[in-house]
Amino acid sequence: MKECKIFRIKCSPSFCIVSMNSKSETDEASRGSEASSSNSDPTPESSQEESTPILCADSGPNNTQDIMKRAAAKQLIERYFYQLVDGCGNPNCDNKYCASSGEARNLTPNEAAAEAIKLFYKEARLCDSLPNKIPRIEACCESSTGNNVNENSDTENKDDQNLDSPSSSSSPIFSENSKAETSQSVYPFEYKKLSNNVAPLTEEKIYELCDECIRNKSPEALISTIARTFTKPLILARSFMKVDNVSNSAKEDKQDKESEAMCSSSDPDKDVDSASGPTLDVASCRRAFEYLSKVPTVQYSSAFVIILATLAEYLQLDMKMSQTLKMDDIITCFVIAFEVRDLGCSDYLEVALPALCNAAEQLPIKGQAKLARIWGEQCKDTLRHILEALQQLITLRVISTNYSAGYQLQDDQNVTRATKLMKIVYYANMISGVMESDTLREEPVVITNQLDPLGDALDHLYPLTSIKNLKQAQPEDPLAVELGINVLDSRKPYIAFEEFYNEPLSDTIEMDIDFANYKTDNSGGKKFSFLKYPFILTAATKSLGLYYENRIRMYSERRVSLLHAVVGASPPMPFLRLKVRRSHIIDDALVELEMIAMERALDLKKQLVVEFEGEQGVDEGGVSKEFFQLIVEEIFNPDYGMFTQQPDSHTVWFNPTSFETEAQFTLIGIVLGLAIYNNIILAVKFPMVVYRKLLGKKGSFQDLADWNPILYNGLKDMLDYVGDDLADVYYQTFRICYTDVFGNNIFHDLKENGDSLFVTQDNKREFVDLYAEFLLNQSVDTQFKAFRRGFVMVTDESQLGSLFRPEEVETLVCGSKDFDFNELEKSTEYDGGYTAESQTIKDFWTIVHSFSSEDKRRLLQFTTGSDRVPVGGLSHLKLVIARNGPDCDRLPTAHTCFNVLLLPEYENKDKLQDRLMKAISYSKGFGML
Amino acid sequence: MAATRRLQKELNDIRQSGLKSFRDIQVDESNILTWQGLIVPDNPPYNKGAFRIEINFPAEYPFKPPKISFKTKIYHPNIDEKGQVCLPIISAENWKPATKTDQVIQALVALVNDPEPEHPLRAELAEEYLKDRKKFSKNAEEFTKKHSEKRPSD
Repeated sequence: MKECKIFRIKCSPSFCIVSMNSKSETDEASRGSEASSSNSDPTPESSQEESTPILCADSGPNNTQDIMKRAAAKQLIERYFYQLVDGCGNPNCDNKYCASSGEARNLTPNEAAAEAIKLFYKEARLCDSLPNKIPRIEACCESSTGNNVNENSDTENKDDQNLDSPSSSSSPIFSENSKAETSQSVYPFEYKKLSNNVAPLTEEKIYELCDECIRNKSPEALISTIARTFTKPLILARSFMKVDNVSNSAKEDKQDKESEAMCSSSDPDKDVDSASGPTLDVASCRRAFEYLSKVPTVQYSSAFVIILATLAEYLQLDMKMSQTLKMDDIITCFVIAFEVRDLGCSDYLEVALPALCNAAEQLPIKGQAKLARIWGEQCKDTLRHILEALQQLITLRVISTNYSAGYQLQDDQNVTRATKLMKIVYYANMISGVMESDTLREEPVVITNQLDPLGDALDHLYPLTSIKNLKQAQPEDPLAVELGINVLDSRKPYIAFEEFYNEPLSDTIEMDIDFANYKTDNSGGKKFSFLKYPFILTAATKSLGLYYENRIRMYSERRVSLLHAVVGASPPMPFLRLKVRRSHIIDDALVELEMIAMERALDLKKQLVVEFEGEQGVDEGGVSKEFFQLIVEEIFNPDYGMFTQQPDSHTVWFNPTSFETEAQFTLIGIVLGLAIYNNIILAVKFPMVVYRKLLGKKGSFQDLADWNPILYNGLKDMLDYVGDDLADVYYQTFRICYTDVFGNNIFHDLKENGDSLFVTQDNKREFVDLYAEFLLNQSVDTQFKAFRRGFVMVTDESQLGSLFRPEEVETLVCGSKDFDFNELEKSTEYDGGYTAESQTIKDFWTIVHSFSSEDKRRLLQFTTGSDRVPVGGLSHLKLVIARNGPDCDRLPTAHTCFNVLLLPEYENKDKLQDRLMKAISYSKGFGML
Repeated sequence: MAATRRLQKELNDIRQSGLKSFRDIQVDESNILTWQGLIVPDNPPYNKGAFRIEINFPAEYPFKPPKISFKTKIYHPNIDEKGQVCLPIISAENWKPATKTDQVIQALVALVNDPEPEHPLRAELAEEYLKDRKKFSKNAEEFTKKHSEKRPSD
């Protein structure tokens, strides 16, 4: 008998599914009998549904099934409640959680509600049916008002005034329904009645309940009150209202009208009263939840987890199915739920938070946008909290799950949902930070690619090559569009963007799979790709994505070449081949690239192969690395006159008075693009504003801070000057002066007649903006446009702009800046007979660690062809040290393209050091030894 | 020449004010960004001579600070052999565009008169200044007599 009953509890969700599907009231009424009949003889379907009712957002593939499980859970909790209050009616009942058994102590409705949730969590025993509980009800009510006043009578009384205690309201209904054949039919009705009588929470109320709870050392009243409010989103949405919301309602009004105008078609039942209605007082809500921490967490957390999960499930169901709640109310509920302090604690991480993420996933874009705005504008302090909780959730899942080909990271809905929610936080974070106007945009560069008729025709035939067509239509993130936010406009986010990186995730992710998902998603697929949420991936991981993109494109170019050959057309080169003389590297390279750019711009997207005249080096990457290194050294040499050095910030800048033609700058742009495209790190030191400009954001006053810090400080000082005598003190007009490369002073009027227009308190901002505009945009306009054109020629189709922030592009181009050789040692691999324990290897590291940073730089240059640290640090270098024969007089050699250092097993440390120093000191050129 | 309107004004103001300790201001008509002048200290051991300085204003003045260098050799803990001087008021960190050149000059004169051995450019002179003031004074005076320019007669 007992065995059977336990089984029934477990399979009960399936019964609920049955009744869920049929909406009519009569079905619900007959559920009880249906349940009991199938109980004695469990059908195969119900036994399949053996899974325990879990509230947690499960990773089950079938979403509707999930939702139904949750609905089932809700109903189960209700049943526990009535079982506790009213009993099952069976006089011989032996269930200690049933009122009829006499073993359960008499509970007030509040306590019962809390207890019901606990029982559900424990999967306690549930009696078969509750046929005739009328006699019990009288007793129950009497006892709840009579005996049970002992502990928390104060709150109870208050509750009764406020909430109209469920038992008192319920008893007449029950007696009315005693005439009905099955009393179960009253549950939904009665439940609704209950929800209408629950009062919204207030800050004071929570204080009161907490104090009560501490005094009585019992959280029952607290939990049940919270539970009742949280399970009724409509009531919850009216909680923590602003007392005085005159000014805010006006604002809200405006916002609402906006959003209403936008979504009037999709959401017809969003009516006007919410516009003038109350708004949430986030601060009050936060204070209330902070107060909760005074109560020992053990007392309420497990119940609270369930409460939150139930709320989440309610919201999710409502959004997905019934849509009875207004969007504003749902969002308010989310805001309140995420104010809960403990979201990052373990219990919450496993159940409540995933459930909330799951529910938030259902939010339409407009809802997400609204949530982001509310968070961004009112909940600054909470943002970090939410972010940390989400990061913990993701990290926990990533670390504790073994992903395989069948179950990839992208399939883990706990992670993907949290990532989706994090995107809302990401935008909220930008909103709460410093944003700039989106008017400062560089004009888009239009490149008219030479048409390649054969290539176009092949595109239709072969889907691989058509990848590039997809790329051209870069879909912008819908949430960003809705909010009208571009990450480029975020000058200073509230939380640093780096904090959004999830390193365990970035390390675990299989970038090739993610990239494939990313691509298929563009064509309408439904696969999840983290590349759509680039904020969570570190720059190193994203650059891997870029690498795949570039490789695919290169291969597709090669393939087209091959097909050209097959079809019989003149076979174009499969590579972008450059042949240069070492002595005339710039001239040769620029002439060749210029020809290519003019005649066959598409060739720029082929894999670069560089050949130095008279050298035997075969370019598998190493030769082109050196080529870039040399060319950059030369181009950025101030003597060359294209760029100037900025002594204050140690950066280079376009020479506004350069004599070089535009074409020259275009070529530099091409070189920079090629370097990114071919995954090569360059030793260039552009100020950040260059990268911002490359991604399409014009330079503005803030950019001066790293462009020329001293000038910036001076100007800022003037902005901060408050005296009315600004014009007298500064005596500054709208004519400014700058020095060209030859030391001549050149004057420029920022406005017409700038010479006679003095800077005053009223126009100082204008002056500063015009000044910055002139220095960063206007004065180098020709040069920069040409430069950017060249850059875009190579990189236009790649996802650079959507994947990377300007700061990350900088690391792509120049690598990060610290040499951590310990990290390098840890990640180095050995080959050809060496191990980490070999004497020569041990000596090698002893020597290398004692190197000066200049020697370290040269060793890097020698072994990898570049002295820059790759994105993600030296551990990403994948250095291999291979044994190159026994002791001999040969020097160490290197395959720069594969980062392999060939080291003969020298007889002693001194010889090793001597050879190594010689090798790195005379290391330019390629040849056979 | 009007990004230099302010400089022109400052120059006129300084010339009119008739500073005793900074005289003989020479400015090349073609380049108002470079000034030369004579520092005339009051305190021993530097009161035996005068020191020619050059003030270089950057094109972005007053948003960037001017630079000062000594054209006359001077035996001073805060001024190095090349004539570079470390003056906090015109350092990049402290510079305020509202600061006027006459304030800068006054700060410079004060520094020449009263060395600050705590922030020396020439550590050996600072040490001598702190440990053996007599010897320092003697050396400085001899050095001044030997290298400095003649003080204006009035």
